[in-house]
Parts: sequence; C-alpha cells; structure tokens
Amino acid sequence: MGKRPFLGWFVTPGALCALGFAAAMAAVLQYAFRAHIPGSLEVGGFTWANFEGMLRPLYATVFLQTVWLCALTAFFSLLLGYPLAHALVHARSTAWKSVLLVVAVTPLFLGEVVRTYSWLTVLGNSGFVNGALLWLGLIDGPIQFMFTRFGVALALVHVTLPVMVIMLAAALSHIDRDYERAAHSLGAGPVRSFLTVTLPLSMPGILAGTGTAFAWTFSAFATPQIIGGGRVNMVSNLVYQLGFSSFNFPFAASLSIVGLALTAAVLGLLRIGTMRLERVGT
Amino acid sequence: MAAEPRPALQVDGVTRRFGAVTALADAWLKVPPGEFLTLLGPSGCGKSTLLNLIAGFLEPDQGEIFIDGALVTEVPVWQRGIGMVFQNYALFPHMTVAKNVAYGLAARRVPREEAARRVAEALALVKLTGMEERKPRQLSGGQQQRVALARALVIRPKLLLLDEPFSALDRNLRGAMQVELREIQRSLGIATVFVTHDQGEALSMSDRVAVMSEGRIRQVGTPEAIYRRPADRFVAEFVGDVNRLPARLVAVEGETALVECGACRLSVPAAPLAAAAAGTAVDLFLRPEQIRTAPPGTPGLTEAVVAARAFHGDHADLHCDAPGMAQRLLLRVPGHAAEGPGARLALLPDPSADAVAFPISG
Amino acid sequence: MTLGPGLRALQVGLRLLVLAIIGFILLPSVVVSIAAFSDRAILTFPPTGFSWRWFEKALTYEDFQQGVRNGAIVMLLASSIALVIGTGAAMAIDRYRFRGRALLQAMLLSPLVVPHFTVGLGFLILAAQIGMARTYTLVVACHVVLVLPFVLRSVTVSLRNLDGRLEQAAASLGASPRRVLFTVTLPLLAPGLAGGWLFAAILSFNEFTASLFVTAQRTQTLPVAMYNYVREYADPSMAALSAIYIAVTALLLVLANRFLGLGRILGVEHGR
Repeated sequence: MGKRPFLGWFVTPGALCALGFAAAMAAVLQYAFRAHIPGSLEVGGFTWANFEGMLRPLYATVFLQTVWLCALTAFFSLLLGYPLAHALVHARSTAWKSVLLVVAVTPLFLGEVVRTYSWLTVLGNSGFVNGALLWLGLIDGPIQFMFTRFGVALALVHVTLPVMVIMLAAALSHIDRDYERAAHSLGAGPVRSFLTVTLPLSMPGILAGTGTAFAWTFSAFATPQIIGGGRVNMVSNLVYQLGFSSFNFPFAASLSIVGLALTAAVLGLLRIGTMRLERVGT
Repeated sequence: MAAEPRPALQVDGVTRRFGAVTALADAWLKVPPGEFLTLLGPSGCGKSTLLNLIAGFLEPDQGEIFIDGALVTEVPVWQRGIGMVFQNYALFPHMTVAKNVAYGLAARRVPREEAARRVAEALALVKLTGMEERKPRQLSGGQQQRVALARALVIRPKLLLLDEPFSALDRNLRGAMQVELREIQRSLGIATVFVTHDQGEALSMSDRVAVMSEGRIRQVGTPEAIYRRPADRFVAEFVGDVNRLPARLVAVEGETALVECGACRLSVPAAPLAAAAAGTAVDLFLRPEQIRTAPPGTPGLTEAVVAARAFHGDHADLHCDAPGMAQRLLLRVPGHAAEGPGARLALLPDPSADAVAFPISG
Repeated sequence: MTLGPGLRALQVGLRLLVLAIIGFILLPSVVVSIAAFSDRAILTFPPTGFSWRWFEKALTYEDFQQGVRNGAIVMLLASSIALVIGTGAAMAIDRYRFRGRALLQAMLLSPLVVPHFTVGLGFLILAAQIGMARTYTLVVACHVVLVLPFVLRSVTVSLRNLDGRLEQAAASLGASPRRVLFTVTLPLLAPGLAGGWLFAAILSFNEFTASLFVTAQRTQTLPVAMYNYVREYADPSMAALSAIYIAVTALLLVLANRFLGLGRILGVEHGR
C-alpha cells in the first residue's frame, strides 16, 4: 500500500463517474455529426449539415441574443454583486453578516423554477410592479415586462447574483485588511484606497465571478422559457424544442456543442486574463 | 524654566471598550519629539488597541489624542500624517517596490519628479537602491521590512508607528534590523511609537518604555528604571526574570522602607508600600543576578538546594529549591562557577541590589 | 472619526445601495409568498382577500406529491453517492500525486461550467445508445455528476483546514491507515461532509434543466412537475408551493449557518 493508502479505493468511483460524464459528452459530440432522419429517433450517417444549418438567421440570431444576454447578465450581476459582497465581507456585526449571507445565497438554493415563477408574480401584467404602479396612479395600463428581453435579463441577473456574490466575497475575504489600513495610513482616503488597492486585488475574483455568471446564464432554461415565453429565446430553449418537439436530436446536439465551445472560449479568455494578472502579481 | 517642547504625541485619558471588555482604560502618554517609545505588554494588554487608536483605526470612547500639537481624535486615519509599519508589512502585492514607496506621495499629490527623487532617497536610506522594479514577493523578509519602512518614512510623517515589525523575521536578522531601524530613526529624529511583546527588544531599543497590562499603562520610564525600579508587581514579574521571597516590613523612613527577609535587612522604595503597616508580610523581589551564593550556614536570605543547572556560556542559571517556598529560585552565576545539582547553598543579596517589595495581594 | 460631507454622503449612498440590492433579491420571494394567500384563481396585486386554499390544493395535487416522492428518492441516493465518491476523490486529489490527477479533477469539476441542458441531453442520448430506459438510475447518475463538484469543493476545504499532524500522531501511536481514516480523518471532516451532503441534497432536489431531459412521466422530480404545472395552469397553487419552498430553504440555510458555518463552507470566511 505504501505512502498512498487506499488510493485505488479513493480514485476508482470518481474515475468511473468522470468516465460516465465523458461518455455522455462524447455522445453529444457524436450526435452532432449525424444526419437527422425526420420522424425517426434513429440517426443517419456522418454529416456537417447540422453546423451549416446553424448559420441560418433564425439560429444565428438566437446565438447572438444568448451571448448578449449572458454578457449583460454577467455585467449587471457584477455591478450588483460587488457592493453586496463588500458589505458581507466588511460587516462589523456577526448578526448582520449572517443576514446578508443567508439573503445572498438563499435564491441559489431555490431552484430555477421557483425563482422564475416568483418573477412571474412580480413582472406579470397583473403582477406586483404593475399592480403597484396602477394603484399609485402612475400608469393607466400595465407595462409589458413579460416576454421582453428586459424581463428575462432582470430574472437572469437574480439567478446569477448569488454565485457572483459568493465568488466575489471569497476573493475579497482573502485580501488582508492590513492593505487597506496601510493605504489609509499613507494618506489615501476610502475612495483612493478602494480604487488602487482593494479593486485591483479583487480582480481574480471579478474575472472568476464574471466567467461563472456567463456560463450559468448560458445554462439557464426555465427563465427564458417562462419569462421569455417563446419570444425571447436562448440556445437552451432551442435545444429543448429541437429535441422534444422535432425529435431532431442531432441538430440539438450540434447546438449544444457550439454552445459548449463558446462557453469554453469565454472561460478560456478569462482564465488567460487571470493568469496574466497573477504574473503581474509576482 | 525652559518651555517644554510641543510633544509629537499626546494621549489624554483615552478609554476604549469592546462590548463589556475595557481594552484600554484611562491612558495618559506624552512622547516628546524624536523619542523612541515602546508599548510593552503581553497579548491582550491593550497595546495594539492604543496603537490603533493613535493611528485612527479605532475611535476612543473617552479622551483626546494630539499629534504634533493638533487634536486628531476625530481626524480620519488618512489625514493624520502618520507613517506606520505593519506586523506583516502589508506591502501591496500588485505594485512594485517603487510604486509601494511612492503610494503615500501620490495620495498627497506630490509632483512626479519630486516623488521620484524622494522615493530614490528613501530607498537609499534603507539600502534598497536597485530594487525599484521588484515585486514584494520577490524580496526576502528583511528586504520587505525595509520597503515597509521606506514607504512609511518617505511621506515625512509627524509620528512613526511600528506594530511588532520584527516578529516575522528570524532571530539572526532581527538583531541587525533592530540596530539599523534605531539608527535611521535617530538620524531622522522622528518620534516613534513601537509595539512589542518582546521585553528584550523593548529594553534594548527604547528611549522609554510603557509597560501595559489588562488595559492599563502600569509604568512609563527608561528601560533601566523599568528594570531596576518596577512600579508594581506586574512590571517586576513581566520585565526580566525575578525571584519572589517572603519578607516582613520593618519600617518606612521617607522615600525608602526597610524590609527583613531571613537574616537580612534590605532597603527598598517606599512608594509601593505606602499603605502597609510595619510588621506586615510583603513580597521581596530580587533579580537572579542580584543574589549571591555563600557556603551553607552563612546567615542570609534563605538556604537552598540546587535542583538543576543550565549552562549559557558566560553565565549559568541555577534553579534552586528553598524550604517553605512554592516557587523555585533562579540564580545567575558566572559560567565557570562549580555549583551543580544537589549543592547546598546560603543565599545573600548583592550589596548593590535594587530590591523592591510589594504588599501581598489577594 | 468625522468624515467630510462628500464621504458621509458616499457612505450613506452605499448603505442604501446594499439595502436596495437586498430588496431586489428578496422581492420575488416576498411577492410570491403574498400571492400564495390570494383568494382568487388569478394573480392580482394588491390581493383582494386571504385564503389557505392554494396551499391545500398544492399539497394535495397528485403530480406535486409524486414529484416530492421522486425528488426525495433521487436526492437521497444522488447526494449520498456523491458524498462517498466525492470524499474519496477529494482525499486522493488533495493529498496524493498520481497519473491523471489533474485530468480527474478537471473532469469532476467540469459539470460546474457545462450547461445543464447539455449534460441532460448527453445522458439522454447515452441512455438511448446503450438501450437504457429513462429510469431512476439514469436520473440519479445524472444528478451525481451534477452535484459532485460541490461535494468535492466542500470536502477539499475541510481537508485543507485539517491539521495533518493529528493523523501523524495517530499513526505514531500505532494506528493503521485504515484506523487513522475511520477514527481521526473522517470524524474531523464530519462538519465538512455534512455541509457537502446538505448542499448536494438541496441542489439535487432543485435541479431542473437536466432533469427535464432525463426524467420520464414516472420519474419526474418536483421542479419538473412544477414547470409543467406553470405551463398549463395560472392559479396560485404554484405560489403556495413556492412559499413553502422558500420557507423550508431559508430555514435550512439558517440552520446550516448556525451549526456548520455557511461562510466557511462557501469559502467566504476564514477562521483566524
């Protein structure tokens, strides 16, 4: 057994699990290059047709819209997440800290369906926002939030915010408080010390949080499906439709693969950014 | 009478509580220009609280703080004109050495050329010329400390604060850095408040030492005064090694009091015994090097048996058991002295001994 | 200390901003909970009356009941299996050097960034290829893969905080590696394991997108049942169920925070 007791026991189940996941991903990859036989679940021979089909405006638009929504969502959850993470890490009383923490992460554990449905009650034509505005007499008829890109983006920001807060808070909590104190002792006020010390030092967390928010938004399904109502579609909705309405699994697979490649590319770019930052830091 | 120079730092009756705990109680302190003052005490004694109050990281519940004659109690840290060296230096890891040192100048909007000149001067002062473009992580512990010092000094602070700056250095480097820091501090004539729990460091570096415990400043004085004439039982026991012997107060005569221990009579400062009546039992404190040995049977403080001997080169420590004493006595004898375990000795006070005595406390 | 008027305003502004963000996070949960007590079959604001009937309907709706049962089965199996696999893998990855270590780690963590619809699609196609029906096994396997990264992270954090000298002490006292593992390592890891299991369980119970692909009518979990309900009906039964969900989740998190230290599990706080 030597110096690594139980190595086999520890690794084998994990390796099997990884293998299963790899097989599933390989299955998607394989299907992406197979021909669709309409009306049948069987697939045909090797083809590039699926990827060519993606260039059609309908699909290209959805791709662009998805990337745009992902970028928008990542940006706004960063904007909202940073002050919250900062408040969480710098909270003076433990009670306030606990409140912030539980509030910040609870939505993460509610699941997409409950959260999206809740937004329905907020944004719907007879929902909370319209009800309140009508009651106050500020508007005459309901404002359309449902089935708009704004409504979808709002709900998506809500979905990604907890992850963003956790990643930013993790990064911020690793910054030694003495750096800020040192900046103050050298004559830098709160604004200057934040911009020159805290913000640059939290950059790895910002990049990690943005990347994760991007990937999570790409993964979102129920939010664009319910709030978007078929009018604001993302890649995920298309994949589901193609699979379960048209039974065109090869095309669904090819869309997934391109989406995966795109996510990987974005994460890769951010990773390079992080590595460059770390090199600067040495 | 010459006018007293304006103190670089003045702490007037400052109190700070954390919840129910009083971290600092009614502290009074004056640091004249150019003085190196050390706050010494065990962890939790309030020395860090006091330093943070002076720096402005904490606000006092009561009392006022003046830096260079100006009231700063309500002034935020960044406007106090202090320089501070942190325990782990807190060098900004994303900036070069030069950027770190220039940080305070940039915050003060010093013109670029003047800033560059002053950074070069400061780095020359701490012997780091040529290291400008290094990152903190590429420096040794000693070099990091020099950068931290240069960064704190380049802004020409009115007061330099040092928060246990040597605790992260290994022993060999520590001594050299202590000497160097003191040289730089003296050459610039900058008033300095230094925090440490290491009494050796405090005694060797300071102009004056403030000994603290349980949120109170127990005694402020020169290192020699602290060592030879401790004001209370805590200071006597915390600074240096000391032996406690049972004694009896004989009489108080003005500034001095007479106490009796075994067959010896010793004069001690009267102030700590002001409240005690003649005849009451007191504790006599004697440093290890202030006790001499004599053949058994000689009338002295007590008789004792050597239990263990620890050799330290130039001297040896004898740990002795004396009848009726719960604590072992510590004697410091020349390294060549022959007494070993089992030896029976009589103990006598050194004629020049600075003995002190305190009433027995509950 | 006294701040200038500019800084004071900034400080107040920041505080208000944080409160506004908290409001944004809480708003849907609060609104849906109010809507749950509506007395009408259609959502309206402000509500016109008060009733418990939607709670009654939600709790007696058969698809929901079935969803809870299925979800509980999948959750218990998936999170327990993930805990065992994840603990072993975390120990091996954190402490040993072996061939394929980096690959194994990357593979096990990658479901974090692979879109869930892709994972679901993959397992669905894989099942079709090997001729497996959409059974519990498929759902559980899919969930194990999806929650494993969270277990891995939680256990790794606990392992890093574990003082290795305790295990060395046990070994020096003559304990075999097996005895060290079961009497020292695992008991010390217990809070981290409990936290990891809890996270895995909550995430599995709430997982929706991948489940939509791999569940059949017979195996559908609660989120899938809820999604199907929302598509067909507009009455506040879903609001009632959401309110219960929110209450239970918040309670679990408060308890987790009290007993396990949420901040430490999530890595946003460090013991000093």
